[in-house]
Amino acid sequence: MSAATGSVRFTRGLGFSLLALGVALCASLALGAGDVTPLQVLRWALGDDDGNVGFVVTELRLPRSCVGIVVGAALGVAGNLLQTVTRNPLAEPDLLGVSAASTTAVVIAILLGASVTTLQVWVAVLGAMCGCALVLAAARLRGVGDDPIRLILAGAALKGVLTALVSLVLLVDQRSADEIRFWTIGALAGRGYGELLGVAAPLLLGVLLVAYLSRPLAALALGERVASGLGHRPRLTRWLTLLAVALLSGVAVALAGPIAFFGLVVPVLARALVGPDIRRTLPLCVLLGPAVLLAADVVARLLVRPSELPLGVVTAVIGAPVLVAVVRAHRLPRL
Amino acid sequence: MMQRLGARAGANRRQGPGPGPGGTSRSDLSPRDAWLLRWRGHSLLLPRRSLLGLAWLLLGLMMVFIASLSIGSMPLAPQRVIAALFGSGDPLDIYLVRELRLGRLGAALASGAGFALSGCLLQTLTRNRLAMPDIIGINNGATAFAVASIVALPMSFAPPMLALVGAVTATALTFALAGGVGVRGYRFIIVGVGIGAVFGALTNLMLARTSIDAANAAFPWTVGSLNGSGAGAQTMLWIGLAVCLPLAMASTRGLSSLRFAEPVALGWGVRVARLRLFALALAVICAALAVAVAGPVGMIALIGPELARRLSSHRSVPVLNAALAGAILMALADLLGRTLLAPVEVPVGIVTALVGGPYLIWILLRGDSPRAL
Repeated sequence: MSAATGSVRFTRGLGFSLLALGVALCASLALGAGDVTPLQVLRWALGDDDGNVGFVVTELRLPRSCVGIVVGAALGVAGNLLQTVTRNPLAEPDLLGVSAASTTAVVIAILLGASVTTLQVWVAVLGAMCGCALVLAAARLRGVGDDPIRLILAGAALKGVLTALVSLVLLVDQRSADEIRFWTIGALAGRGYGELLGVAAPLLLGVLLVAYLSRPLAALALGERVASGLGHRPRLTRWLTLLAVALLSGVAVALAGPIAFFGLVVPVLARALVGPDIRRTLPLCVLLGPAVLLAADVVARLLVRPSELPLGVVTAVIGAPVLVAVVRAHRLPRL
Repeated sequence: MMQRLGARAGANRRQGPGPGPGGTSRSDLSPRDAWLLRWRGHSLLLPRRSLLGLAWLLLGLMMVFIASLSIGSMPLAPQRVIAALFGSGDPLDIYLVRELRLGRLGAALASGAGFALSGCLLQTLTRNRLAMPDIIGINNGATAFAVASIVALPMSFAPPMLALVGAVTATALTFALAGGVGVRGYRFIIVGVGIGAVFGALTNLMLARTSIDAANAAFPWTVGSLNGSGAGAQTMLWIGLAVCLPLAMASTRGLSSLRFAEPVALGWGVRVARLRLFALALAVICAALAVAVAGPVGMIALIGPELARRLSSHRSVPVLNAALAGAILMALADLLGRTLLAPVEVPVGIVTALVGGPYLIWILLRGDSPRAL
């Protein structure tokens, strides 16, 4: 990439991501588990109106794709932020237990008598915030921050504890079991505009925070002293980042449940395209996240027709090789 | 990459003037913290601390044994339990103890020992105190294959064998992708985490795709429970333990040299690569057979060896003590799970995760490095 300067590379990356997103969106609209074929969808798009096809595309696939776009962007950005702030290339909301904390909070709320209404977004965000606080506290401990593996193992342990807690609740309280089951596996099926409206407020807040944070975080990547010298406040930046991650992953969990490895894949892709600068990777994550998520969702729909795979299964299968690749890099890259 | 010498950094490092593994110095002097047995030119070093630990563990095992047999939905006095064990006393007691509780306790003890032995070997191999079969994907691989045998095939075709196949598959994948266990232990662990996640996802997929009955039949496999353990699987596990434990104990000497840098171990004449493969195979077999009995129970493989290390001399890898500690812990966890929320039985895997998870996090976040074994 010696010929391409940074901005050219960024433009290229942006173009590529836009293209990928467009392709993924078209695929998401045209392909599905049902028997509406791409050809029929094309005919419908050209004006040859068939009520059935129109219904499937606008009422089933479009809302689902919109949810996918939001979830993908939120998780991609959350992963990127988390990796930057912990300086750990393996950090990821699901792997570090943030999603699990969010799920657990929802499960406990349901156990305490809440029902499936708007309340849950904030509960999910609150849970994610607790998880984030734990992660950040752990990463700030002496010795843990320098050791990417330790943080990941701590996250895996936290996730194990929380999963066990959820299983316990499921076991004890049969009434909640049905309502809870959805929250424990990641899927996009059956979500629509109503749910999107429910998460609009935290999502907006998260987006605003991220927009503000990109510069301080880029400075922080140069080291704490440099960041202070440039007039940023590292501690404040860190806590705000945490808040943003919590908002975004809370939204993602509220919409789609925990989705494994997703926050790991997207930033890795973005960095491969435009280099490590977070001011460039963030916008790319916003585009690439939905593209990857929609592609995974299409695979989930097509693989075992006429039924569907849970999305979490597909992303785990996609994400694990990326994890392996990151670890197999000559030495573990430091962020 | 030179590791610190002590078994655990600092705490129980007693600088006895003894020979290191394979060392030859001061052969006429028995070290302070061990007994030296000699017989016609053969000599045997018995570390006092390990033997004491062994005694404690045996005592604990006995207590847990009696307690698990007497506590339950129908409590029995310990003396009645002992009488029933030897075949005298009330026929109802005999039935209860011998037919119902003994089998379950046996499953708990054997699987606990299997997990802990596996964990102990893996921790020595990767030189990381946190390596254990449930984190590095062995358990998940075994579970995925066992669930496949229940879900996919109409008759449940020997889940234990398939669990073994799954564990071997997962480990082989991890081994190949990480490029060996050797120098970069952390790579092996993280790759294992990834492989484990994939197998976990596959398990979820299979459970989601089948009928509710098959999913219910497979449920114990996903959390770890001693409820559904079949007699065949348990027999295989006992046989496996009877083979693996002596083999592991026989190779303790070589294993303890793995804690040093590779050139050092090579210099002592240990065939490091071969030993690693051998120990890995033992660890996989133990974990897989244990999963076949109890499902993927976590954390025993972490806490068992940890406890054993506290109770043993730092001289050698505490294989036997780890197995005993694991057996005790598993039986205790099962006892807790049975009695805590009395009418509802909490699966043993949930108990161990809830108790062991915070402990693991504490270890990780504590000051000293977890790498030093």
